[in-house]
Amino acid sequence: MTGWDAQRRHAFQLGLAPALLVLALITIAPAIYLVLTSLTPLNLTLPDSAWDFSTPLANYSDLLDDPRFSRSAWVQAKLSMATVIAQLLIGLGVALLLNGGGKVRQFARSGFLIPMVLPPIVVGLLWRVMYAVDISPFHRLMEFIGLPVGSLITNPNLALTAIVIAETWEWFPFTMLMVLAALQMVPAAPIEAARIDGANDWQMFRYVIFPYIQQTLVVAGIFRLIDSIKAFPLIFVLTDGGPGDVTQVTNYYAYRQAFTFSLWGYGSAIATLMVVGIFVLSWAIDRLTGTARAGAR
Amino acid sequence: MRTPHLNLTRRGLVRAGTGSLLVPFSLASGKAPAQGGRKPFDGVTLNISCWSATYPTLLGQYLPEFTERTGIKVNYDTPGFPVYNQRADLELSTKGSGYDVLNVTFIFTSRWIGAGWMTPLDGFLNDPNKTPADWDAADLLAGSVAPMRDKKGAIYGIPWISDVLMAASSRFDLLKAEGLGMPDTFDELDRAMALINKKDNVAAYIVENHWGWTFIPFLQGFGGSIFRNAPDDLMPTLNTPEVAQAAEFFAKLVNSYGPQAAAGYTYDQVNEAMRAGRTNYSPMNHAFAALLGAEGSKVTATSNFSMLPKGPKGRFPGVASHGWGIPIGAKNKDASWEFIKWSMSKELVGRMVERHGLGSVTRTSLLNSPAYKGRMVINGVDTGKMFLDSIALSETGYMKYRTVHVYPQVNAQINQAISSVVSGQMKAKEAFALAQANAIADLKRAGVRL
Amino acid sequence: MAASRSRVGWFTRHRNRVGDGFTIVLLLVVLFPFGWLVQMSFRPNADIFGYDLLFNPTFAHYKALWAGAFPASFVNSIITSVASTVLALVLGVPASYALSRGAFRSSRGIALWILATRMAPPIAFTIPFFLAYRFLGLSDTLIGLIIVYLTFNLALVIWMMQPYFDSVPRELEEAAWIDGCGVWEAFWRVTLPLSAPGLAATAVICFILSWNDFFYALVLTRTNASTAPVAIVNFIQYTGWEWGRIAAAGTMVMLPVVLFSMLVRNYLVRGLAAGGVKE
Repeated sequence: MTGWDAQRRHAFQLGLAPALLVLALITIAPAIYLVLTSLTPLNLTLPDSAWDFSTPLANYSDLLDDPRFSRSAWVQAKLSMATVIAQLLIGLGVALLLNGGGKVRQFARSGFLIPMVLPPIVVGLLWRVMYAVDISPFHRLMEFIGLPVGSLITNPNLALTAIVIAETWEWFPFTMLMVLAALQMVPAAPIEAARIDGANDWQMFRYVIFPYIQQTLVVAGIFRLIDSIKAFPLIFVLTDGGPGDVTQVTNYYAYRQAFTFSLWGYGSAIATLMVVGIFVLSWAIDRLTGTARAGAR
Repeated sequence: MRTPHLNLTRRGLVRAGTGSLLVPFSLASGKAPAQGGRKPFDGVTLNISCWSATYPTLLGQYLPEFTERTGIKVNYDTPGFPVYNQRADLELSTKGSGYDVLNVTFIFTSRWIGAGWMTPLDGFLNDPNKTPADWDAADLLAGSVAPMRDKKGAIYGIPWISDVLMAASSRFDLLKAEGLGMPDTFDELDRAMALINKKDNVAAYIVENHWGWTFIPFLQGFGGSIFRNAPDDLMPTLNTPEVAQAAEFFAKLVNSYGPQAAAGYTYDQVNEAMRAGRTNYSPMNHAFAALLGAEGSKVTATSNFSMLPKGPKGRFPGVASHGWGIPIGAKNKDASWEFIKWSMSKELVGRMVERHGLGSVTRTSLLNSPAYKGRMVINGVDTGKMFLDSIALSETGYMKYRTVHVYPQVNAQINQAISSVVSGQMKAKEAFALAQANAIADLKRAGVRL
Repeated sequence: MAASRSRVGWFTRHRNRVGDGFTIVLLLVVLFPFGWLVQMSFRPNADIFGYDLLFNPTFAHYKALWAGAFPASFVNSIITSVASTVLALVLGVPASYALSRGAFRSSRGIALWILATRMAPPIAFTIPFFLAYRFLGLSDTLIGLIIVYLTFNLALVIWMMQPYFDSVPRELEEAAWIDGCGVWEAFWRVTLPLSAPGLAATAVICFILSWNDFFYALVLTRTNASTAPVAIVNFIQYTGWEWGRIAAAGTMVMLPVVLFSMLVRNYLVRGLAAGGVKE
């Protein structure tokens, strides 16, 4: 290595170091602390519990027996599946609609962004208004046309659906944007060729366009899946995990255990399991889609 | 460590900004900003929070007087009951200085005081420089102060309310038209509700959805109990047939005789509905029931009150005290004490009784005053007597379950169980079997030996 | 031949107009809840839930907001968002450049680490940060929030800026090096100006993400450092649900974000996906 190369390398290391140091401090240190806390029965009313490692796996074995935990995982699974599929379908549909087209649709793209960039708490507020039977224009409208709808968020069968609707409204622009970007990269030649051959819209989509955007859909799906596990403000404002615990996803259950009941050890254990679960899930999907990607080539 | 520099910059900005806006307003309103003589606590700001009961809400109106007198500025907020409790509990657990005065909630007294998160107040009370003799601490009801003491008897809170659950009817005329009086037993209640439901478009029954408070009198009335023998034996006993029976009865009242979405009604929504005459009968806190006779109520002339109805095993009106306390981490405890002294002074509370008909009073002198007694007679009914009778009943000790330090966890389980039963998701037996299992798990996790 | 060509032509025209019309209708339906909230903020309290669209707009709710504690929380939001964005840029931009040019062997590992931070649920951070801040006295402070925001902003900056740096031709930098510039001098003079649009977009997205944060602020602040989204929740939790003020607060809180988003809409996907589109 020449002197200049060594100097350059040194300069790059200098540029990278502070960021890595800070990142390590604020991500790795808390992660270690989280795992350590999950091995204690930490409860702030009993200060001695802070470093009580006598039964390190007690929280985890409790979790395995805890029906509320397994229920929350099931609620999470339902929520994630529903919102990801809905967001993909609606995002895809709107993207197809907006693709090409004139000024009107170009302008509309910015408009459709709004749900995604609103502060999530404001989204929660909006939907709180929309779901409050006495004051919601939506409920009024249904009543007006003779199909009165009861309150969704206090109905144990419909509360989760209500959250799915609100969540889909909030995030479909994300998939829409990703699909739009991908649509714009579809080469013109195959489309022209198909049109000349007389393909109708469905055939055009299914055989010409879809193969090009398939990967994007998968990537968008993965991101939406991971984000759906973080769902918090909507549940906090709309249902508080209820009625009963039908909308209490794992994230919310951890929040309750830690911040409402001050069971920090237990909450940490739930959080740790969640992180592990997400990593495993992402790795698995990456593997699967990697194979698919290789196969598509 | 707090960064005073950053703090000052921001506060300075905001103060300068709002201050410059306020000066023209205050001048326009004809009140010159206080000038001249330096006040003892000039420049101090206190952060104070309490849940939104009648007294704390009213107190907000009087804060300018406090600032005028002492120079202390108050940032005051009154969230809803469950939210307040969660934030206060979280804040106190950090032993932080985010709040200077907090409400010591009844169900948390044991927890907060036992964990050493509140400041002992005897020092303030016994020091004649800090508390003049005529503030008369002895005037406070002993029964209200009791939950605010630790095991050794030191005081950690000054109670501002001892509230009881009683029954109120906003449209008693409808009951009378059916030849009914105020129901005195659960059976009479059931029959009465069935008869008057939806008469004149008024739903018969409503109750606030803090089930862990409003359901208990029914639970105990049918012979059930929360713990085997609070406070010594904390084994929960939620899965008994009496509890299930009570839950089914309770759910029936809410579902069959309540308005739409009855299960979602918080106490402020219940107050509103009752005062507007949209719902007829409700078990309510006395402090809220008194609002039926206060200004803005549409139903003063048709209201009636009674003690809570009794079940086969007796009458168990819920009684709860709340008080002002100083978090252990508060920075300026003397200023905090100034606030507590002022807000609980005979003079101020007396004025609230006279002007607003405040029902929640803990000073014996005020409870016996003609002003209070007069105000508590609403539409010819002496709610004051019902209040005192209910408190007398509670002295037999059936409220002990509530000050157990782990009751909040059980409260949450009861809330969820009743929520499931009312919404039809589970039968009472199932729901409470689950509550029992969860309560036992939560208590074990909180370090209780069962 | 001519007939089928003109038939195709007419169909396309017809389809475009229908498509446009449908787009507008869909846009209105989607934005309806949002518009409803905004109009509520201008409605007088007596009529707050009314349905006729002709009402006398009032600024009373905004004035009431201004007189309360809301302005302080708004200022807190501005401070934390700006400060954490600046800090993230100061730390992250040089790091991103170093990763782009430095050909480190561990750069794949670092990339995975950054992706992992982005994927972890906030609860995994809030618990340790809450407990640590309790010990360090950083509870309810702006500094505390700013540090926590770095957990996502720093990763975002490093991730987002890399493609921009990658796309700056090395020859330009090499030319500067030959002229005698040091590595970072060349970066400042040559690379950074060329990546300015990406930098601006990254900064704005960091700002938006910090501004919108709810969970961390809810848990880590109490009174002194509470930000605007948390302050709105305070309104909700007061009894009586002061809807006019809630609507006004909501409108005010989302205004900066909506405006900024329009400026960087082309970069939003990459930012929010933290590079997911990059294959």
